Amino acid sequence: MGYDHILVAVEPPIATITLNRPKVLNALSPDLIRELTTALAELDADETIRAAVLTGGPKVFAAGADIGDMADQGPVDQLLRDQTGRWAPLAGFKKPLIAAVNGYALGGGCEIALMCDLIVAGDSARFGQPEINLGIIPGAGGTQRWPRTAGKYVAMEVMLTGAPVTAQRAYELGIVNKVVPAEATILVATRLAREIAAKPPLAVRMAKEAVLKAFEAPLSEGLASERKSFYFLFATEDQKEGMRAFLEKRKGVFKGR
Amino acid sequence: MATEVEQHVNTEIESGIAWIRLNRPEKMNAIGALTRQQLSEALKQAERDDGVRVVVLTGTGRAFSSGADVTEMAQGAGMRTPEDVGRVLRSDYMPMLVRLRTMPKPAIAAMNGPAIGIGASFALACDIRIGTPDSYLLEAFVNIGLAPDGGVSWLLPRLAGSGVAYEMFFTGKPLAAAEAHRLGVINRIVPADRLEEEVRNLANQLAAQPRQAMAGAKRAVNHALNSTFEEAMEFESYLQEAQAASPEFAEGVQSFLARRASKK
Repeated sequence: MGYDHILVAVEPPIATITLNRPKVLNALSPDLIRELTTALAELDADETIRAAVLTGGPKVFAAGADIGDMADQGPVDQLLRDQTGRWAPLAGFKKPLIAAVNGYALGGGCEIALMCDLIVAGDSARFGQPEINLGIIPGAGGTQRWPRTAGKYVAMEVMLTGAPVTAQRAYELGIVNKVVPAEATILVATRLAREIAAKPPLAVRMAKEAVLKAFEAPLSEGLASERKSFYFLFATEDQKEGMRAFLEKRKGVFKGR
Repeated sequence: MATEVEQHVNTEIESGIAWIRLNRPEKMNAIGALTRQQLSEALKQAERDDGVRVVVLTGTGRAFSSGADVTEMAQGAGMRTPEDVGRVLRSDYMPMLVRLRTMPKPAIAAMNGPAIGIGASFALACDIRIGTPDSYLLEAFVNIGLAPDGGVSWLLPRLAGSGVAYEMFFTGKPLAAAEAHRLGVINRIVPADRLEEEVRNLANQLAAQPRQAMAGAKRAVNHALNSTFEEAMEFESYLQEAQAASPEFAEGVQSFLARRASKK
């Protein structure tokens, strides 16, 4: 299906989604979010796709939500429109989602990056939550995901000052996996996606679920759930293939069964 | 008729080289509020202008720069309180010095004379320094009861080693051109009457080099200064991959092969 605000390149086993409103620094309009969630749902359902890259292109990831669009709204408008609730499906993508971030990832742009499973940052990347300067706060997970990854004090600094952090600082804080030259960001993210796409898909899915569970559940529950997934994977063909290949000193070929 | 604004900074662009000159010879190119404003603008323009491939920073007259304009400070112009001092460092000097170190083109300090205090910072933040025999670097802060600023606590230990840096910070004595050259802080010393020509030659040479490759070198060094050996090598490898796909590399290989072929 065709999209107006994003580009979707499906190249099995991976797909790349590019936010494509360069004139407005990829501002996250409700239409864009709708397209993004639709595209992710399609990729989730597509068995040939095993990982995805989300990027804003070479210059900017996303400089935030459409402010022009929100300035005169009331709380009920926001609630009825479900302004940020509509973003929630982004975090429900079941396959690995890798953010390739160049330039600004601000406000909603930063929150979308933080919904991804891995972040590759170009040296030009800047992460921040400037909402405070507009008399609001992040509304799509920023106040919750920052402290869970970078810790309370960094999160407070980012939320309360609104000042963005550089790619290098983000790397040191552990919210970014790698800092690479900006012209290589998408390439590196794509390779990472391909590398992961070559792994046994069911194990990848369970691993992702298990790690995300660590942010939601008490340890005992997380451990119990991890154990069940671990045992479950012994019921898969890929586990048999993986272990046989290991013993036969060859590379496993995985089917997601 | 409005009075003409004093020109504390002159910029001339000449065959791809922006010559940015501190231009207060009567004050040994001391840097005051107006100088900061004009220098900031000049550096910004030089970075943005695609026609500029190399930036040269130098001074008119006997000095490169004698540093912050202390008379102006004493008169309280924009520097009334200790807070002002901090603010000027953060909001005026920091962006300029960061810009010099990160702009995607080479910055050369043509040290026509002493570079003192914040003047030394500007020389040290450039990528390459060419000095005259009488030029020197001086961190005079301690002589007036101040600690180092303008990035020298970071720059000097890296360029000269922390022992030399501490000696300069503690004694307030100059690092003469010859010694600075021996330590590698100044790349080259040339006679005063040949400084401009030598710098022009170097700048011309750099202006003819592939610009993205040089910009890549600056990014790699700036990244490496904040990372481990492994991280630096990985960063380099991606940079090189992008560079290897560039027209600059295609052209470089072609001309290399052509030259070799013509040698036969």
